Amino acid sequence: MANVIVKNLVKRFNAVTAVDNLSLEIHDREFAVLIGSSGCGKTTVLRMIAGLEPITSGEVFIGDTLVNDMEPKDRDIAMVFQNYALYPHMNVRDNLGFGLKIRKFPKAEIDARVQEAADILGIHDLLERKPKELSGGQRQRVALGRAIVRKPKVFLFDEPLSNLDAKLRVAMRAEISKLHRRLGATIIYVTHDQVEAMTMADRIFIMHKGTLQQTGAPMEVYLKPANLFVAGFIGSPSMNFIEAKVIREADAWWIDAGEFKLRAPAAFDARLEPHAGRTVIFGVRPEDMTAHDPAAGAGGGNTLTARADVVETLGAEIFVHLTCGALAIVARMEAPEQPLTEGQTVDVDLKMLKTHVFDKETSQTIV
Amino acid sequence: MTTALSAVARYVDRRQRFFFPAPAVAVLFLIIVLPIAFNLYLMFTKWTVGLGEPRFIGWDNFVEIFGDERVWNGVKVMIYFSGASLALELFFGLMIALYFNRTFRGSEAVQAIYIIPFAATPVAVALIWRIMLNPEIGVINYLLTSIGLPPGLWVASPDTVIATLVMVDVWKWTPMITLIVLAGLKSLPHDPYEAARIDGCNALQIFWYITLPLIRPVLIAALMLRSLDNLKEFDMIYTITQGGPGIASETLYLYSYNVSFGFFKAGYGSALMVIVFLVVLVFNVLMNRLRRDASLV
Repeated sequence: MANVIVKNLVKRFNAVTAVDNLSLEIHDREFAVLIGSSGCGKTTVLRMIAGLEPITSGEVFIGDTLVNDMEPKDRDIAMVFQNYALYPHMNVRDNLGFGLKIRKFPKAEIDARVQEAADILGIHDLLERKPKELSGGQRQRVALGRAIVRKPKVFLFDEPLSNLDAKLRVAMRAEISKLHRRLGATIIYVTHDQVEAMTMADRIFIMHKGTLQQTGAPMEVYLKPANLFVAGFIGSPSMNFIEAKVIREADAWWIDAGEFKLRAPAAFDARLEPHAGRTVIFGVRPEDMTAHDPAAGAGGGNTLTARADVVETLGAEIFVHLTCGALAIVARMEAPEQPLTEGQTVDVDLKMLKTHVFDKETSQTIV
Repeated sequence: MTTALSAVARYVDRRQRFFFPAPAVAVLFLIIVLPIAFNLYLMFTKWTVGLGEPRFIGWDNFVEIFGDERVWNGVKVMIYFSGASLALELFFGLMIALYFNRTFRGSEAVQAIYIIPFAATPVAVALIWRIMLNPEIGVINYLLTSIGLPPGLWVASPDTVIATLVMVDVWKWTPMITLIVLAGLKSLPHDPYEAARIDGCNALQIFWYITLPLIRPVLIAALMLRSLDNLKEFDMIYTITQGGPGIASETLYLYSYNVSFGFFKAGYGSALMVIVFLVVLVFNVLMNRLRRDASLV
């Protein structure tokens, strides 16, 4: 097993810069997830680590070895592709064993490793079948198996679950996590699905427009997003952003959005002070808001009044789409005993300590 | 009157599915079914065209075929010519398709020039080759001697005639195989190649373990298509050698033509044609079986 270090990596496709001076370090045995919207360069980074894409400039180390000029086959990596990339003319057994056969492993060793992988993934019954005769989930297992048998230093996953249906995706997610624990391998996993990132990652690397935005444990990036992009990208539904002014009134700092005014907690004071009088972006996650009938009584200073336009019921939870003057806000909360009716006026309580304030110009987090 | 007319109209209307295709069916019958049926009848007869009526002789023509040395010569020439030319066309067609399956500066222009032999009229091409191959006045021997190499007899010698014809056939038809194989290569999935690079394959191993198995159905299809023409190659051989010198380049197909239209032995010629047809049929049935196995991926 090994760590992976990327230093000042740049990738240009003609005039387009896909990866822009990216540096990151993935620890030995870590499950690292590279996440970002499509076109952010995450797959390009993975392909450069794999050696499938030439590097424009920068360095990639696997273990202590600089691998820039190494062929993919010499990097001791295995990759699981989005479209599985199974060999269509070989049965499952040959697909699994092919990498070992090419590396001239003895036949007995190949058989043993194929058996072991088939055990781990539960694909014994499929060994004699061709990829064409497998379902999407089964193909994905075979693709995983092909990586496992090689026992490589680093596993690279390129959106491996994006072609599976929702139910299968949940099951495979758990399975890949289990596999990671069992193999103790270094895994670099690329996805655009934040649920995959949050559930599987030791650390998340969030990318946007070819640059790294933030690195951290899942809860860290969720609770303390470094900037506006990360705050909006992580979390579902995404964080509500409201343009507001920071003002001082009655010995306290207030967030004044025009339609409503909220009192900032004392803990924010020091960081809000330099922005006094300036326009900022106020951010609040849907799950940090509760809408209720005004009759139920208001919470002190942290409540705004809005109209419930649409109430989406998900079972245990509801999403409430609110209008507050010209602002559209989404709240996510437990389904109340007294159901909200669409069109009714509601009071919305905010957990002010969990809200965020971002610099409007730099997009960086203030609080 | 009106009722009679509408009765006719109703009759036509109800049977339009017969009336509309009728002209096409009639033409097909006249130019395909009838000649084949006539050929099948003739093969059981002895008939010299212009001298009397066909005479029914049962299987005698087929008995004669087995004892006819020119038939066995024709089979030998056909195997030699077709075996060599199909193998070489397939080999070069694949190699050149692999070369073209990348983009390089001017690749489109090179490809356009490359397919000219395939696009040219076969008889015209054959005529030009006949002149170029002439041992006395041909440009090929002129070029060879001008750089100090000995001249060749080419199609003038029984020893080299088939090899020379194979060369011309390969020159003309390899581009067709290339086009088919190139289309196949372009349609191959991209992913397995990257997987193979990570699995540890070098370029040669990728070709052997990935490209070749994946392209096999296309290769067989190209071979089938080419063999349909090649096994009954006529215009090129007839134009250049007429089957000569002697009968050194007389394929079974050429011989059956000579029997029918040179010696006017229509009954025996028909029997030979049926043999050629069976050879082509059996070859393609076998190929088709191979192709089905190969495409089970």
